Amino acid sequence: MAYGWKQRTIRYKPYTISQLRRILDLRYLLASACAIFLLVLVVYPLWQVFYRSFLPKGVFSLQYYEKVFTHPTYYRALFNSIWVSSATAILCMGLGTVLAFLLMRTNLPYKERLRALVALPYAVPSFFSAIAWIQLLGPQGYLTRFIVNLLGWESAPWNIYSAGGIIFVLTAHYFVLVFITVAGALGRMDASLEEAARASGAGTLRIMRSVTLPLVLPAILAGGLLAFIGAIANFGIPALLGMRARFFVLTTSIYYALAIPDFPLATALSGMLVSVALFFLAFQFWLQKGEGRYTVIGGKSVHPAELQIRSGRIALFTGTVVFIALISIVPIASMFLTAVLKYWGAPLAPQSFTLEHFVYIVNLDTSRRAIVNSFVLAAAAATVTMLAGTLISYVHVKLKLKGSRVLDFIATIPYAVPHTVIAIAAILAWSRPPVSLYGTLWIILAAYLAIYIPFAVRTTHSTLQQIDNSLEEAARVSGARLLPRLRDVILPLCRPGMIAGWILVFMPALRELTISILLYAHGTETIGVVVYNLQDAGYREVAAALACIVIVMLIAGSTVIKKLTGGVSGV
Amino acid sequence: MDKIRVVGLKKAFGATVAVDEVSFAIGHDEFFSLLGPSGCGKSTTLRCVAGLEEPGQGEILIGDAVVHSTRTGVSVPTEERPIGMVFQNYAVWPHMTVRENVAYPLKIKKVSTTLMKEKLEAALESVGLSRLADRYPNQLSGGEQQRVALARALVKEPEVLLLDEPLSNLDAKLREHMRFELKELQRRSGIPILYVTHDQAEALAMSDRLAVMNAGRIVQIGTPPEIYSNPADRFVADFIGLMNFLPCSVISRNGETAVVEFHGARVEVPNPGGHRGRCVLAVRPEAIRLARAGAVPCRVEIRSFLGNLIDYRVRAGGEILRVQTPSHVVFDEGDELALTIERAMLFGD
Repeated sequence: MAYGWKQRTIRYKPYTISQLRRILDLRYLLASACAIFLLVLVVYPLWQVFYRSFLPKGVFSLQYYEKVFTHPTYYRALFNSIWVSSATAILCMGLGTVLAFLLMRTNLPYKERLRALVALPYAVPSFFSAIAWIQLLGPQGYLTRFIVNLLGWESAPWNIYSAGGIIFVLTAHYFVLVFITVAGALGRMDASLEEAARASGAGTLRIMRSVTLPLVLPAILAGGLLAFIGAIANFGIPALLGMRARFFVLTTSIYYALAIPDFPLATALSGMLVSVALFFLAFQFWLQKGEGRYTVIGGKSVHPAELQIRSGRIALFTGTVVFIALISIVPIASMFLTAVLKYWGAPLAPQSFTLEHFVYIVNLDTSRRAIVNSFVLAAAAATVTMLAGTLISYVHVKLKLKGSRVLDFIATIPYAVPHTVIAIAAILAWSRPPVSLYGTLWIILAAYLAIYIPFAVRTTHSTLQQIDNSLEEAARVSGARLLPRLRDVILPLCRPGMIAGWILVFMPALRELTISILLYAHGTETIGVVVYNLQDAGYREVAAALACIVIVMLIAGSTVIKKLTGGVSGV
Repeated sequence: MDKIRVVGLKKAFGATVAVDEVSFAIGHDEFFSLLGPSGCGKSTTLRCVAGLEEPGQGEILIGDAVVHSTRTGVSVPTEERPIGMVFQNYAVWPHMTVRENVAYPLKIKKVSTTLMKEKLEAALESVGLSRLADRYPNQLSGGEQQRVALARALVKEPEVLLLDEPLSNLDAKLREHMRFELKELQRRSGIPILYVTHDQAEALAMSDRLAVMNAGRIVQIGTPPEIYSNPADRFVADFIGLMNFLPCSVISRNGETAVVEFHGARVEVPNPGGHRGRCVLAVRPEAIRLARAGAVPCRVEIRSFLGNLIDYRVRAGGEILRVQTPSHVVFDEGDELALTIERAMLFGD
């Protein structure tokens, strides 16, 4: 060594084992707390579903799966779920792709404004869509009467309470997923590929067909799979439109099995539902991974050539506008109209309008309770999941502890599980001693925490990744241990992301139906439950009034998110 | 007495060895730099001293205390090491005012309010930020943020100050200014500084001593003049300052010196390495004299005026050489001249 120094006795001032342990433990303690949170709220309940479906009486048995496959009521439900969701997915792929092409790659005017409108149906809860479409296309619906009168028919040749009606409303709700993925892929596509085809002498339409369409095919398929998964997990639409016609899918069969009540059957049906959903979700993941190979769609944002529509541009534009208005605005308008009419189907005259339904709903004990319950549940779920999500992400992103990937993975599991199954899991886990929470808000909260933790982890993950490591290291050099630096540096820096994430959990939780309809008891109704029950019992106007209040709150919340995130996200 | 002592430090990331057998010591009021190209392990070494990286092997002492020793298993966490540190990107917390940023280490130490106020004012004063104490970082320039980071590092009165390329994000003029300011601050406070940089001019200008690193190892430790005039190997010679490398051959050797031939001219150079045969002659641009007559004929290809001196590229035989002369020695492009090598070093081929 070029540089030497005098040897001298080094005076060690070693840190004791206990001091070291204290320092180490805090990190592992935090990781363990996260692990326990996830084990209790995610792993244990879901394990219960799995375990009970095979071991109904403590002995391994496939008898309930057998029951599903031999009893026509149940295997038909499985079959119905698959074909209804498949039909929905195919329609969504067609509709979403055509709209994405029209609004991304043609010379139609006002494309940006129309794009914003297209996403609107997805912001409204799906069972609200079902209610609105019943108002519009039901036996005495506004559109039904309009068309029947116009064409001089005896009665409408369709029935909204049918498989067809379910597919229609599911499509109107989920096509947005295909639209967003395809529009995204079209926006990211490298224009030079099309220019190359143009240079080879191909016409615009031919380029679209032979170059553009094959390139966005993975996106179309991915969007279609998302629509399938959404449709098969949906409860509100088949419940409001199918049960009356005794047309059952898996989610509504589970609801029915719980009403009997037949828990083992409900768990076996849940098992089927999870298997189908997981299978398609795995397929979708695989597709997305594969998209990396299509390096042509990536990174740079360019403005590729637009398809110049000359003849029929006005007709096409009008058609698109009418269609988007029909699917985005008309249902919401119908909801508001129903809420202010004396009775559904009243003639549109000045004396027919009234605010009495709003007065009624505000004075109804159940609905006041439900509003309080929903706010408390949504706020609690948003707060707890955002805090837990931040800590889980922190352990993974910043502490980089061994095995923290597992935490991350477990936290994303509920994303793949239909909400009906999460509800069954909560019943199995939390309705018997030692923890019997059934009939309390706690059991609903436990299920909410499970379904929203994936969102919380995902949003906080990216927030934390944006915080440079040196900011935390500077706190360490300043002498701040784990907890002080979480309190003084990490959490304050995460705050904007956490607030946006909080609203992103709060808003869907506020209007949630599937979990609460399966878990509520007298006194623990949520807004969703009250709207559903009012609609189901025939009080359409009052249901609509409450739904309108919720829609206004959702729009307000969405505006706040757009402000907070600079328009990046928001429902 | 040494304030920092690093012995046999090793650190690997997976299969790549980032730091290999690094040892050095820093005296009690010394400005010591780790200098090297990016990826040479200098920042990793500094982060090991700070405790932000766990060394694979070795011993680190700060002041009297062993803060890391693989042998005895001692590892003091960063939070408890008596260090102040300034990061390359300053790492000033954007959600706190200047005052809150600087006060944070004191707040963590739970210093009493009156003492805190006193120390805080002193720290802000020392970096000239008293005026801006209630601003948020986004209202400050890069140089001002830098001072906040510096004040925050100094306010807890650490035993040593660690600086990780703190000037690299500043513009040239400010960088020059901060060089003097840092040096002056260090003289005033007497705090030892461990400084990491890839900028050799910066290291030469500021350091009392510096260590040149390459590929995870320390190649040479010495004062700036020692390293400039007596580089340990060809890498250091190339990395520090400007250097012409000329192929040559050794004609005769006489103890510690040798006579080499370069395009017909004979130059006597020190040869402690005992090189023979084909070698490389290393000549600083200012160690070459240009004149109308001399040993090696050459021709001026390009002349560029640098203010205090003139930078020539001259062609001699097949080689292009860089020559710097005071600005009053003026030749024109295309002039046929001759050069004389006044000082040189010899490295193996």
